[in-house]
Amino acid sequence: MTHGLTFGVAAELLVGGLLLGGIYALMASGLNLIFGVMRVVNFAHGDIVAVGALLTVTLVGALAVPFGLALILVPIVAGALGYVIQVTVIRRVIDGPPIMTLLATYGISTVLVNVAILIWGGGFRGLPGELAGSVPVLGLDVPLSRLVAFAVALAASLGVWWVLRSTSFGRAVRSVSQAPELATISGIPIDRIRNMTFALGSAMAGLAGVLLAPTFASDPQMGSRFIVKAFAVIIVGGLGSYPGAIIGALLLGVVEVGCSYWMGGVIGSAMLYIVMLATLLVRPCGLLGLGMRA
Amino acid sequence: MTRLLRIAPFALLALAAVAVPAAGSDYGVSFAIQVLVFVSLGYSWNLIGGYAGYTHFGQMSFFGIGAYSGTLLILNAGWHWLPAALAAGGIGALVALPLGGAMLRLKGPFFAIGMFGLTRVFESLALGFDGITQGGTGLYLPAPDSLVFAYAALVVVAAALILLTWWLDNSRLGLKLLTIREDETAAEALGIRTARLKVGAFVASAVAPAMVGSIYATYLGFIDPATAFAPSMELTTIATVLLGGMGTVLGPLVGALGLSIVNELLWSRLPELYSGLVGLLVIGAVLYMPRGIVSFAIRRKWLPTGRGAFRRLARHHAAPAVPETVPKTTNVDPAHV
Repeated sequence: MTHGLTFGVAAELLVGGLLLGGIYALMASGLNLIFGVMRVVNFAHGDIVAVGALLTVTLVGALAVPFGLALILVPIVAGALGYVIQVTVIRRVIDGPPIMTLLATYGISTVLVNVAILIWGGGFRGLPGELAGSVPVLGLDVPLSRLVAFAVALAASLGVWWVLRSTSFGRAVRSVSQAPELATISGIPIDRIRNMTFALGSAMAGLAGVLLAPTFASDPQMGSRFIVKAFAVIIVGGLGSYPGAIIGALLLGVVEVGCSYWMGGVIGSAMLYIVMLATLLVRPCGLLGLGMRA
Repeated sequence: MTRLLRIAPFALLALAAVAVPAAGSDYGVSFAIQVLVFVSLGYSWNLIGGYAGYTHFGQMSFFGIGAYSGTLLILNAGWHWLPAALAAGGIGALVALPLGGAMLRLKGPFFAIGMFGLTRVFESLALGFDGITQGGTGLYLPAPDSLVFAYAALVVVAAALILLTWWLDNSRLGLKLLTIREDETAAEALGIRTARLKVGAFVASAVAPAMVGSIYATYLGFIDPATAFAPSMELTTIATVLLGGMGTVLGPLVGALGLSIVNELLWSRLPELYSGLVGLLVIGAVLYMPRGIVSFAIRRKWLPTGRGAFRRLARHHAAPAVPETVPKTTNVDPAHV
């Protein structure tokens, strides 16, 4: 299977990769945000994406809710779900040994997957006809659904970044992530900030789910596929680094699409993982090397 | 009396192991095989997860590698299932050695993510290289003549693991692993060769799952990527150890027995309900009983305390290391404190 690299093919792969990367950026940013503030690696993040996608299929496909409304409703539901998870479980184990937090989010992930199977069944569901058609971009025909997903995902990621950098809530979040004790002394309610952060991160996962629904077939077990990709993104970009996650996501999107084109889908998604492993071994702090800081 | 109490559970187990096939029913043997698979996986996980303290979400990688290598040896090279299972264990160790060397440089959540992802990669490779593995269709093995042989092999594997864990729990090596779990930097400062020990524990925890994978494939007569790398078995293994008690000798056994019964009641009818329930159990254990049933029983004095060998040693050399009458050292250069 050898393909020549013409300019057209390269442009197509690049655009396809960037469009995919946009959604990865949104997913990874949410995960990264939660890790940055709470030092919790949330294994259930991918499953919140799956719940978001399946909920969108039900809302838009079966209940004829406009897609634009789903873009608002589903993240709210996902955020509420995240809030409940944080208050009932994570908050109570976060000060214990890290292994327990890991096991707790692993347990939550399992519960979410199987509740989703009980609700939606195990099969794949799609949204045929939603955001159909394509738009010419730089002489290429780009599917409208992917373009919308990319634009919304990137806008949301950058919007949250702006909130973190420039609002008083964002400053509180950053201070809790960098120095929880000092934040407490300064009168920042760190418990509430942590709850809000978890809800915000989960809402971002839910939004990613909405955006995936028109393009990809969704099933309750898609979470485990996406969580590994989101991890790969934040490890390559630099754990806790917000711009790193966005750059890493776009990069890995291009790597995945490119490698899938030349070496087949299986190796393509394995390549993402190999890039992550190589990063972990060679440069554990990631591309932007900001280490733990948000 | 306490000695008797210590040996009693093992004697009972040995008796039970012989009694199951003697009682005859195929159902009993099948159920016992399930229990033994989880006992073996649980004890293996306990070595790296319980003692060395490295959360491992990728044990099914080795189970799957073992299942496929054993099956392929039987199908393509015409091996008998027993040497195939032994070879599968060897292959598991060979894969684990370089993998552990690389992955164990990662700490805590990174190691967990790395291993979690790796299982999914192996699964997609098994799906992708369908020339060898038949992809999602799976490989079929001739049906075994009798379940008793697979059962006997699993009894040996499980017994070896229990004995190994018992020995480890009463050895300096086990103490070193526990030190790594509690504080890896301090362990290194004490002169413990952490890298070597961790990789050793990792490799040791990979051999049995690979062997069990191969035996399990023979027992089922069938293997496909979804069975070989099943997330639900990963979950059950971890729940087994967590519920029973991480880093204890009897914990995985207690957990495996308990969960196998839940498994038997729910799995065949309502697999989603089973997995969801086990997920809830994991959350519940983390919240309310993070040290597991066995530690709980030890605290309540229902079970003798572990590490008896150390306790006896400690009684013999009970002199304080530094007598209290010695004045505090004064000639220490403050710059070096």
